[in-house]
Amino acid sequence: MHLQMKSGLKRAAWGILALFLAGHPVCGADSPTEPASSTPRDPGALSFPALGSPAARKVRVEWNRFYDNEGLHAILAQLHEAFPELTKLYSIGKSFQNRDLWCLEVTAPQGGKASPKPGMYIDGNIHGNEVQGGEVVAYTAWYLCHQYGRLEAVSDLLNHSVFYLVPTINPDGRDHWLHTANTASTSRSGVRPVDNDGDGLYDEDDYDDLDGDGVITQMRIKNPFGHWKPHPDYPDYLMVRVGPEERGDYDLLGYEGIDNDNDGRINEDPVGGYDMNRNWAFDWQPNYIQPGALEYPFCLPETRAVAEFVIAHPNLAALQSYHNNGGMILRGPGREGGAFQAADDNVLRLIGQRGEKILPFYRSITIWKDLYTVWGGEIDWLYGARGILGFSNELWSNRNLDKSTSDGAPDQDAAFIKHVLLNEAVVKWKPYHHPTYGLIEIGGLKKEWGRTPVSFLLEEECHRNMAFTLYHAGQMPRLEFGECQVEKLAGQLFRIRAAIKNSRLMPTRSQQEVRNHISPPDVITLAGPEIKVLSSGRVVDRFFNQVEAVKRRPERLELDTLDGMSQTWVQFIVSGRGNYQLKLQSAKGGILEASRHLPEN
Amino acid sequence: MHFGLSPMEIHLKRSGRSGCLEILAAAALLATLSSASGEPSAYLDNQRLGGQLLELAGKFPGRVQFHEAGQSLGSNSVWLLELGQGTPQERLQKPALLVVAGIEGNDLLGTSLAMSWASQLLSSKEDTFTGLLQTTTIYLFPRMNPDAADNFFARPRNETAVNRRPGDDDHDGLVDEDDAEDLDHDGLITWMRVQDPEGEYRLDPVDPRLLLKADKARGEFGGWRLFREGIDNDQDEQWNEDGRGGVNLNRNFPYNYQFFGANSGPHPVSEAETKVLADFVVAHPNIGIVFTFGAADNLLASPPGGPSPAPTNTGTIPSSTGPTRQRPAASDPSPRQTPTSLQGGDIPYVREIGRQFRETLGIKTELKGAAEPGTFSDWVYFHRGRLSLAAQPWSPALQLEMVKAKTAAEEAAKAKESSKENKPAPGDKPAETAPKGGPAAKPEPGAKDNEDKRNEEDRAFLKWLDKNAPGAFVAWKSFEHPDFPGKKVELGGFAPFAKTNPPEPLVQELSAKYNRFLNQLVRQFPRIAVRQVKVKPLGSGVYDVTVQVENSGYLPTSLVQGQTTREVLPTRLVLELENRSFLSGSRITYLPPIEGSGGMAEARWILHLPDAKPVPYQIVSALAGTVKGAISLETK
Repeated sequence: MHLQMKSGLKRAAWGILALFLAGHPVCGADSPTEPASSTPRDPGALSFPALGSPAARKVRVEWNRFYDNEGLHAILAQLHEAFPELTKLYSIGKSFQNRDLWCLEVTAPQGGKASPKPGMYIDGNIHGNEVQGGEVVAYTAWYLCHQYGRLEAVSDLLNHSVFYLVPTINPDGRDHWLHTANTASTSRSGVRPVDNDGDGLYDEDDYDDLDGDGVITQMRIKNPFGHWKPHPDYPDYLMVRVGPEERGDYDLLGYEGIDNDNDGRINEDPVGGYDMNRNWAFDWQPNYIQPGALEYPFCLPETRAVAEFVIAHPNLAALQSYHNNGGMILRGPGREGGAFQAADDNVLRLIGQRGEKILPFYRSITIWKDLYTVWGGEIDWLYGARGILGFSNELWSNRNLDKSTSDGAPDQDAAFIKHVLLNEAVVKWKPYHHPTYGLIEIGGLKKEWGRTPVSFLLEEECHRNMAFTLYHAGQMPRLEFGECQVEKLAGQLFRIRAAIKNSRLMPTRSQQEVRNHISPPDVITLAGPEIKVLSSGRVVDRFFNQVEAVKRRPERLELDTLDGMSQTWVQFIVSGRGNYQLKLQSAKGGILEASRHLPEN
Repeated sequence: MHFGLSPMEIHLKRSGRSGCLEILAAAALLATLSSASGEPSAYLDNQRLGGQLLELAGKFPGRVQFHEAGQSLGSNSVWLLELGQGTPQERLQKPALLVVAGIEGNDLLGTSLAMSWASQLLSSKEDTFTGLLQTTTIYLFPRMNPDAADNFFARPRNETAVNRRPGDDDHDGLVDEDDAEDLDHDGLITWMRVQDPEGEYRLDPVDPRLLLKADKARGEFGGWRLFREGIDNDQDEQWNEDGRGGVNLNRNFPYNYQFFGANSGPHPVSEAETKVLADFVVAHPNIGIVFTFGAADNLLASPPGGPSPAPTNTGTIPSSTGPTRQRPAASDPSPRQTPTSLQGGDIPYVREIGRQFRETLGIKTELKGAAEPGTFSDWVYFHRGRLSLAAQPWSPALQLEMVKAKTAAEEAAKAKESSKENKPAPGDKPAETAPKGGPAAKPEPGAKDNEDKRNEEDRAFLKWLDKNAPGAFVAWKSFEHPDFPGKKVELGGFAPFAKTNPPEPLVQELSAKYNRFLNQLVRQFPRIAVRQVKVKPLGSGVYDVTVQVENSGYLPTSLVQGQTTREVLPTRLVLELENRSFLSGSRITYLPPIEGSGGMAEARWILHLPDAKPVPYQIVSALAGTVKGAISLETK
């Protein structure tokens, strides 16, 4: 496909992967061929797509790097500009530092039909340091837009569902992690100041990049009775603990820093200091039970904005949230005994099992049982309070480094660093004179090591995780009218039995919704200008005439749910003649309409 | 416009959120406002409440700050009144009492009581008042739920305790579609009883104006159904099940919050009003005592749970001879779940204050208090670790108990009088000889011990209303109800607000009682001071220094729950010295909680101070204020 490059897109033109370099400039390349000149040609124009990548790329993005908040927004904005008919771009709220939480809504044009489609909400990066979720969500947006109309599976998905893609719901934490010196694990928080050490001051003793190399690494001090020694094979960066009867050379002193506030402690009140994924209302517990929960659920502008967005979108049936790391497909509940209906768990288990095949280094597990207890987590609220079925994935696993199914030992990682990354992940130990400790050494692993993939595996993470969510989205309820049996009982008295098919795994309403009346019931109505509905009900057993006849308003039949992979029969006893309309309204299954007429005499 | 001010003044109010509002010019306007509404009611509508607040702010500039803290969905202002002296920063460092009224909103009385206390305090003898405000800050939210209070003044009068957030109470996908109706156009939404064999009620044999739940175990047949007055607008065979609004703000807080509960809202702190209140509490860590007029009572009835010994100072970090890197450990280890009752060490304080509360109200026995999920006051104690007291300002049970106690006292006085005259023989029991009398205490003639007591309170209360507020119970009248053709339907029963607010003449008397109680409560804070400084020169400019900090107030510097939650920061003693001056210890020493009534904690350092200059120190307590001074090293 040939297209004109808009000036706004040129900025992304550098983003062509060397991997796609091909020697022969022919069709399938992205840009029109340009006249030969002395300046080297854009290799992207000379490339051929490998399978998995869109043939034509209106928006060129390199998927082997991390983007800051503005970078992610630029990707979404360019996609919106390039695919205005498929996308809407809006902010769902503001962060503590007033950054927008950008959402790209992606769905096929509906041709004027206002019918709501089943929706899937996907976000990433709730923890500031867990950045690559942002890239996975942005990749999903990029892929869906480009493959619509090209791949049948993608067109079908966008025709029948809508995606709400929010690459980062913690833009402050993201930018803080990317732009300032940090470790792989800090900062998990957002940047709202918190008095972590209870001295009445806020964020006054953060980590310090003492040696000014732009990286927060470790501090170690020589000690003839130390508990640590350098690894014999990788002495530059790997420390090992000595045995109980062994004398080491060093003690570890934690991450780089000084006692900024003269209180006898180091790095005890860093920037932020809370956990955005413990601030959600369902099964929420206060700070002293669940560290990081803050003062009350949704006291953060970011979590509150997402909650309000979710409440305002009753069509949301599926959810995915991206974290790192460990290679996990996590489902609730977050705590032992937490709310989870068996039927809902079953659906998620089936989807998660497929996920383990799509994501070979991932395990599909339950949070409280297989990981740890979480009070007030995001996906627990989305399920518990709203009945939305979904997962949080712990992106990336070091099992992917040596392609094994078991967790790698530290020296395996070290070997990878030495022989594959050529030592790029580490800072060698260097002496430093510390104001409190005196002569120490500073060095160790960079923040990009351990929790985020290396560049050449990041694109794989993006694609495979997206593929998992597309499978999940494909299991949202898909409704159609099935067989319709009309039986004449007497003169103008008829029995109409209609089947409603749901051809996907997920029900229109999860058991959690049904039990707690979270969403309105699915409603099927029958109406006609010359028709009176005398009775209606759900057919429990159509061979033995068991019908749950409603007591009131028979023209408006309420159904608890339409189960996945099944068809539901309903019965209407009507008198009259002529045309009638069957209409099904389901908050998460969409709207179905059928016009029929009663048989003539 | 809901306040009667010019748009410019409204603008002024909005922009005055963070600062104080100084309004003097409006005083004249106010006079007209307060007398404008025909009713000289003891209950204030939102407009008159705003007027009174404005008046106070105008009368006492510099000591009263008056803000619009937020707005309800019904576009009513949520007001905040702050009594205090000094700059905002200074006020924030003084021990503070927070009084919250009208949070359920149908209790108009709470607002009147809070306003009465504020006025009394401000117009009390100048030096008492300034003395109090020099050491104390008082925050008042006189009406958290103005939307529900509006209902009292609207016609028809319909009592609800919810704000104006639209809701689908009956989960049918329709919002607010089946409200109550004033079928008999008497201006009141009362009750309707329908004679129907399906009904679970029967007429009370003692007073057939009342209904009694049929007890199948006693072989009782029902026969009456009971609904709020109205029709089944949405034809779902439920009556008035999805009325206008909303969320009960006092069910909308995170402790013991009921998801999917009645009127609890979509999630904790979902409402503009509750967010204002929660954020205010978080932003004012100097609040040590909270008093809420509302459910979650712990004053009329003693809180459950056995008292356990209060935490002692021994065993926690004493002084700087050891490392002071750790904050003092909470006396209770961090539990895995929030406790479900008050901590043992905190119970005696709540019980004692409850005793004072009942004594001030003039009742002799404990009453069953209202316990509800998701209340503000429970959040304050269980999650924020502050002393949190709550009581519904008035109830039929309380009224009956007050009458009973008063009567008993009068009788006792009378008996004493007559015993003086008769000179009874020793051993006579006055209680037995006391004449029977008093409307509530007098038993039915011919009453037996095994009398059916199921409706006792309603019966007695109705009798009391007959005498004191006859309009508060509407006599049952027949009504042809379209939803119940051919059935006997009667409209009547307790009038809206009759069980939540006393007849207006009683408000003044209650105000006097609550004023006394609050005047006492506002003086119960912990108060720290340095009791003694011990300086022992060790020679060559080296000193062994000990500082003893005393709490001369009533409450401890932190409740047990304050330590458990870690939301009450530990008291810290800061010596303003360079690091090199410390031979043992460091700049900041955290003190363990100090009990009131003379409790003490001390800190000790070895200091190297060759120039022997005085050492400035600062003691900062979250709830007991800040003390500054200097340690003199000169020894005589």
